[in-house]
Amino acid sequence: MAAAPGRIENRIRRLRFDAGEMTQKDLADKVGVTRQTLLAIENGKYFPTLELAFRIARCFGVGLDEVFTYHDD
Amino acid sequence: MPYGERESLCSLITTLIVTLLFLWRLSGQHEAGLFATPEALQVWARSVLILVAWSIGIAIVVAIGFHVGHTVLTGEKPDERRDERDHLIDRRALTFAWYLLSFGILGVIIALALGATALLAMNLILGLCALSEIFKDSVKLWLYRREA
Repeated sequence: MAAAPGRIENRIRRLRFDAGEMTQKDLADKVGVTRQTLLAIENGKYFPTLELAFRIARCFGVGLDEVFTYHDD
Repeated sequence: MPYGERESLCSLITTLIVTLLFLWRLSGQHEAGLFATPEALQVWARSVLILVAWSIGIAIVVAIGFHVGHTVLTGEKPDERRDERDHLIDRRALTFAWYLLSFGILGVIIALALGATALLAMNLILGLCALSEIFKDSVKLWLYRREA
């Protein structure tokens, strides 16, 4: 039986704010994606690949689990 | 508007123009009786080849028009970067279009088995190609909007 899908949340908006109110465009440029992709990730409409997730975490200087959290519902 | 979305809209407009051009040209030839001869398939194939050449020209003109229009309206050089989300949307849309085309071709084979002419079958396949392209671009636009 397949496991029920969980829920992935992210703290990108909070981390951007804490990083001197970094804009979406700045973060998008740093991690090499478009602003629209970053917006979709922030809103939980798109889930990035593991590589991009690591790049985002590295950009803030934190671990992956401080950016993305997985919840079993 | 991101590059991928603009590209999809551009492609959709091009396909619609080209489809209308094909319909206009081929229906005109049909009314003129050019497809009522034994060389009907040859005439059809030559017409389609000419139209394919026109289509390439139309695609270039629409792409340039979009590029210039975007630059004039927004005053900035468009961001032509494509990332992993663009590739994912491409793959999803292509899968849907591929299903449509596959089932459509199966339908054409059934039509042939039921007595449709080869010319009708070729026109149906041409129509299916246009339809699947329109469907692909529409799905891409929908995915871009849904995930914005």
